[in-house]
Amino acid sequence: MANAVQAHESVAEADAHAPHAHIEHDTNTGISNTKLGMWLFLASECLLFGGLITTYLLYKRPLEGPTPTEIFDIPFTSTSSFVLLMSSLTMVLAVSAIERGDHQRMRIWLGATALLGATFVSGQIYEFTVFVREGLGFTTSRFSSAFYTLTGFHGVHVTIGIIMLVSLVLLSLRGKIPEHRSETVEIVGLYWHFVDVVWIFIFAVVYLIP
Amino acid sequence: MAITSHDPIPTSQLDGAVKDYSRDKVYVLTALFLGVLTIIEVLTYAFPDFPAWSGNLVILTLMILMAVKFFTVVYIFMHLRFDKPILSWIFWAGLVLALGVYLAAMCTFRIFWPESHG
Repeated sequence: MANAVQAHESVAEADAHAPHAHIEHDTNTGISNTKLGMWLFLASECLLFGGLITTYLLYKRPLEGPTPTEIFDIPFTSTSSFVLLMSSLTMVLAVSAIERGDHQRMRIWLGATALLGATFVSGQIYEFTVFVREGLGFTTSRFSSAFYTLTGFHGVHVTIGIIMLVSLVLLSLRGKIPEHRSETVEIVGLYWHFVDVVWIFIFAVVYLIP
Repeated sequence: MAITSHDPIPTSQLDGAVKDYSRDKVYVLTALFLGVLTIIEVLTYAFPDFPAWSGNLVILTLMILMAVKFFTVVYIFMHLRFDKPILSWIFWAGLVLALGVYLAAMCTFRIFWPESHG
């Protein structure tokens, strides 16, 4: 037991003093389990959003209540989409900064990404408020239920992403993200970019395609 | 020697990568490219009678633009282009399964409940 604790401590100590470069992972794939796990999770998320988008496409013609063309504000949603797209740039720059060991820039880019994400979510809340005022509640029609479920699920994903980004900034300020742990930032980045690509799909399929 | 934002990040410093990650300049140019594609998408809405996407062509145009944006983000920003192929296979498997879900649901509704989608 004492030997096991001692071995654990020596591994932890070695990890804390590891060089900047990533160590080769002792896995069959040569990829860390965390990164592999995130990609598997994203693949399963494709199924979730695939199901939600399919449901929307089945129910997009409302039998009652306002129609999509009557209520969608395309210029507003386009601006929101652009904001989310630019957040992907700031996210990849944050990953790039930590891979180079530049913590200051990483925090700036992560903060910018969280801010852009928050702008997007605020826009979505505003959009939902306007739609409800115009008579499109969650249970107004099958279209409204499918629309709010799809875009709402996406909004929740963005919100979770913002929480992860803020957590990363706080961890970094406390010195808990050394260079050899930069993979953590990359994994959060993967999640964030996935949220962005899902919106690319939703924006075209839900808002633009007539 | 410290790596600057003008240098690609060496594969030796990356998890599961088979190629060096891009320079920051590449990311900025990619974002500009994505921005231009988004503007074109919005133009299809603002000018529906433009010959390049008039009529039913608009759906094809939007689907192509969407696919280009989707794969640009996945391959450049998410580094699939630089990482080990197994990660691409995993992601492709998810996409193909999602497409399967779409086709199965659509076929089910078309066959068993044709009046359901108006």
